[in-house]
Amino acid sequence: MGAKQKGSSKSKGNQAEEVEETLQAVVLADTFETRFEPFTLDKPRCLLPLANTPLIEYTLEFLANAGVEEVFLYGGAHSDKLEKYINASKWRALSSPFKKLTFLKSTSTSVGDVMRDLDGKHLITGDFIVVSGDVISNLPIEGALATHRARREADKNAIMTMVLREAGPNHRTKSSSVSPVFVIDPTKDRCLHYEEIDHHDDDAPTRLNIDTEIILTHSELDIRQDLIDCSIDICTPDVLGLWSDSFDYQSPRKHYLFGVLKDYELNGKTIHTHIIKDHYAARVRNLKAYDAISKDIISRWTYPLCPDTNLLPGHTYDLRKGSLYQEQGVTLARSCVIGRRTVIGKGTSIGDRTTVHSTVLGRNCKIGRNVKLDGAYIWDGVVIGDNTDVPGAIIADNVVIGKGCTVAPGALISHDVKIADGVEVESGKRITKVGRNGTAGPTDSKVVGQGGEGYEFVPGEDDDEEDDDASVASSGLVYRMPGLSLSSASISTLSSEVSDGSWQRSARSSFSDEEEQDHFHHDASVSLFDGLRDGVSADVVQLELVSLRMTANASDVQVRRAIVTSFMKYIQQLMEGGKGAGDAVHEVFSKYREVVERTLFDRNKAEKRDQVDLLLRLQQDLVHRNKGDTVLLFTAKELYDLELVDEEAYEQWWDHERSTESEEMKTVRSQAQQFVDWLANADEEESSEEEDSDEDDE
Amino acid sequence: MPSTSVALTPGLASFLKSLNTNPIDTSIENLISLLKRRQIRHSRSCATATAYLLLRVVSACRTSDPVKLIERVQSVGRRLIAAQPREMVVGNIVRRVLGLIREEAEGDHDAEFALSEAGSESQPQTPRGFDDSSLPLDRDVLRPDADRAASRPPLTSMFSLLSHPVEDDSQPSTPGTQSPRGLPGHGPAKDVRAEVLEGINEITDELDQVDDQISSYALEHIHSNEIILTHTSSTTVQKFLLKAASKRKFTVIHAESFPNNHDATHATVSGNSPADDENLSFEAFQKPLIALGITVILIPDSAVFALMSRVNKVILGTHSVLANGGLVAAAGTRVIARAAKVHQTPVVVVSGVYKLSPVYPFDFDSLIEYGDASKVLPFEDGDLVDQIDVQNPLYDYVPAELVDLYITNLGGHAPSYLYRIVSDHYRKEDISF
Repeated sequence: MGAKQKGSSKSKGNQAEEVEETLQAVVLADTFETRFEPFTLDKPRCLLPLANTPLIEYTLEFLANAGVEEVFLYGGAHSDKLEKYINASKWRALSSPFKKLTFLKSTSTSVGDVMRDLDGKHLITGDFIVVSGDVISNLPIEGALATHRARREADKNAIMTMVLREAGPNHRTKSSSVSPVFVIDPTKDRCLHYEEIDHHDDDAPTRLNIDTEIILTHSELDIRQDLIDCSIDICTPDVLGLWSDSFDYQSPRKHYLFGVLKDYELNGKTIHTHIIKDHYAARVRNLKAYDAISKDIISRWTYPLCPDTNLLPGHTYDLRKGSLYQEQGVTLARSCVIGRRTVIGKGTSIGDRTTVHSTVLGRNCKIGRNVKLDGAYIWDGVVIGDNTDVPGAIIADNVVIGKGCTVAPGALISHDVKIADGVEVESGKRITKVGRNGTAGPTDSKVVGQGGEGYEFVPGEDDDEEDDDASVASSGLVYRMPGLSLSSASISTLSSEVSDGSWQRSARSSFSDEEEQDHFHHDASVSLFDGLRDGVSADVVQLELVSLRMTANASDVQVRRAIVTSFMKYIQQLMEGGKGAGDAVHEVFSKYREVVERTLFDRNKAEKRDQVDLLLRLQQDLVHRNKGDTVLLFTAKELYDLELVDEEAYEQWWDHERSTESEEMKTVRSQAQQFVDWLANADEEESSEEEDSDEDDE
Repeated sequence: MPSTSVALTPGLASFLKSLNTNPIDTSIENLISLLKRRQIRHSRSCATATAYLLLRVVSACRTSDPVKLIERVQSVGRRLIAAQPREMVVGNIVRRVLGLIREEAEGDHDAEFALSEAGSESQPQTPRGFDDSSLPLDRDVLRPDADRAASRPPLTSMFSLLSHPVEDDSQPSTPGTQSPRGLPGHGPAKDVRAEVLEGINEITDELDQVDDQISSYALEHIHSNEIILTHTSSTTVQKFLLKAASKRKFTVIHAESFPNNHDATHATVSGNSPADDENLSFEAFQKPLIALGITVILIPDSAVFALMSRVNKVILGTHSVLANGGLVAAAGTRVIARAAKVHQTPVVVVSGVYKLSPVYPFDFDSLIEYGDASKVLPFEDGDLVDQIDVQNPLYDYVPAELVDLYITNLGGHAPSYLYRIVSDHYRKEDISF
């Protein structure tokens, strides 16, 4: 009796809650990355099988577990195929745990576009969960949800909670190419700063830039890079608003999270973390993760999302000893050896003396005699001929591999490829039959042998996905290579760097790239030149220059270079207009003395580095200009008269190796010779200085 | 805060709630997915959910033909069992419902046409709770002669058209003889279903009362100043001990059953177990043993052998009991039973009859479910995760020879006698359906 009463009172409570709020979820079926090419050329990524079950099933199962009632599924590439699949699946059936499953198509090319699209549609009514279509998790989300709601009750500005899984410093499931670093205030679980450190891009900064403000205002900080970011976010509708406000945000972490945290002063929104220590949560972000998560599923870390749960209707997997999952209707030859951690689908037959270890075999595969499979992922309908070795490759649906072949570790063979007898597929090769635009490509018999079908797929350079290179290096081609352990080394060095870097703002400009300099130089010299031509006052020119310099974070050297270029260009223009060299130089430099002066900081030092640099740049610039030698002479004198450049600087300039490094340089400074000589004499005879310079004028 | 979380998670409570509003097929799918996702996982929760679902299935089934009814229940049952073959109680409940239907169908016509050879033997003991048994017994005794007189003549031809050739002669009797409780005004067809529904209701009642019935035997088995060893947070065992504790003083040694059940065990021992919705149990309202002045000693599982020499009796709960007298119980049970054997300590297993499965364990391994490896080894430990295979079996198979006595809601039985209870409760033809 007691139980019944309790049950009924509870259920009443339930109803009240549900009326209050239905939990919504947004599934990003396409994450707009190209890491799974060539498999994703003609199949949506979330339908790729992971331990023989499409990825999206795990994600939807996770949402069903979490008690989500409305799901918005955003399809990206090949969304028609995905839609067809979803419509035929149990999620559309009457018995689906979701009250509403809406399939949304969009032409988006980034997560940001999707979110902005979603904001425009006004579908979201309350708190919602955003997951990508490749999340595997057995986490009951209610804990995170409850803390999120409590926090939002208390503070309207707590807009988002990220679910992160703790993992040690080295973990197979963690992404190794890019480590996300979270700076967290552990007292409030608030994320203060986020940055991604890319281990494969040598140009990218290997340091962390933390705002001093953060360090000053928080008594306790956790800087963590041991977290698996499974991209499960619990959001309030405000999140969408912020996406819409910043139209240039593309990726949910690198741009959005980073941006929102940086603009905390501006918008006051806070983002929180929910770090879980038990339960499984991970994302199949690249092929390495595909490998790791397959292993996790087979070793039951994801329980109950294991093959023997038979998530798909019609699956009949059974767990045998040694993590061997086998469906009914498998034909095994008497002398074949099936090792541990293996999954074998229905209708597959395995020939005599074949050995299979740590391998996932799909349905209706035909494995010949004396084949060695170890750590391979073989999808449905694959035929492998006798005496073939596959020590760790991914072989997609309906591939035919001939007899006596070797498919080296890390090779990827896409749908419907045929490989002739006796071919060796090298490690890291990607072989496909379907081209990027969906049509069948030409067959390259060098790659697949005589009678084969398919060609080598070269990951496109046209992808503007910035971590494409990283994906080539890490994702996976080499996902089983021992060389990958090198990443652990870089992680440990990283962690020590993190602690250093966090206390000093690193000098980013030290390796600021050429491109940025060119930009600045171009902008600054054009703007200066315009200023000179229009006769704008020195103050205005100076102001403009400073602002340009600030935006580009340009150095003084660059500023001087820009000044020299623009000034000389203008002087030249004046001279072409009929003015004398002396007048032109005098006019420009006397009017804009201030601008030049602001770039020289070594007035009181013995070594006049800045001034020498200015003179050298002048000299260099004038090499290419008409009557360069004359202009140089007058400029040198003018600078002296305006007390911009000191006598010592002229001496140092004259002796500087760069000023005599080529014939042209020598010619251009030949006329200035007399001025420098005069300067040397002037030391002795101060008074004659004025006259002499007058003489030089003509 | 907790109330929000309860509202969200699907489980037994939400399933039972939705059962009345959802269409029947939805409910079936719903239960299948709940079983697959392990959101309903205790034996009794599974049994309750199955019984209520079948109640709906039978009542929604418009046919009056027992053969069709059997087919319908069989097809539903097959899907449920396929969803979670290791929850054997699901199969047990389905079999009992099938048995009910067959019995009602058979009861209506001649014993000579009885579907089962075992029928005459098994009929006297219907699968109802033991205290109801007097009623059906009477009916069964009445049946042969009464039925023979009334049932055969007029409807035969019509039914033979509709029904299966084998079941040709199966037809309902006239209501008066059929059931003491049946309403005379109803058509004959309706009665089979009404009877079956009533039978299922009795099963659910049995599920509700089973622990209390078992605990009524407690005083016969637990004596003053004994030292009792137990394992896991089984409600049945707790009630059994509590009943004894109301009269006698004894000591309980409780093994914590790490890693799958230790939290629940700690809560049970200390008495602050949270209101567990899934169990639909009385636990939340119950005082722990310590409140009754019983000394309870919580020990790690590894200390079981060392303490066994001082233990007078081992009382164990179980997940399910197999036809040969062996049991599938929480991991760690076998070690305890083995240790008890070495020290010649009697092992008593308390279990409702509904856990008794007619399945013979040819392949022990297939009965054991493997759980979440992260309970044994933290997932954070990347190096180990990569290189080690971790297995976390949730259950153990304990062979019959390690068990001395079973106490069910029908009383105490030796393991060798279980076959008899099996044949009383399940029809031969339903054992593998």
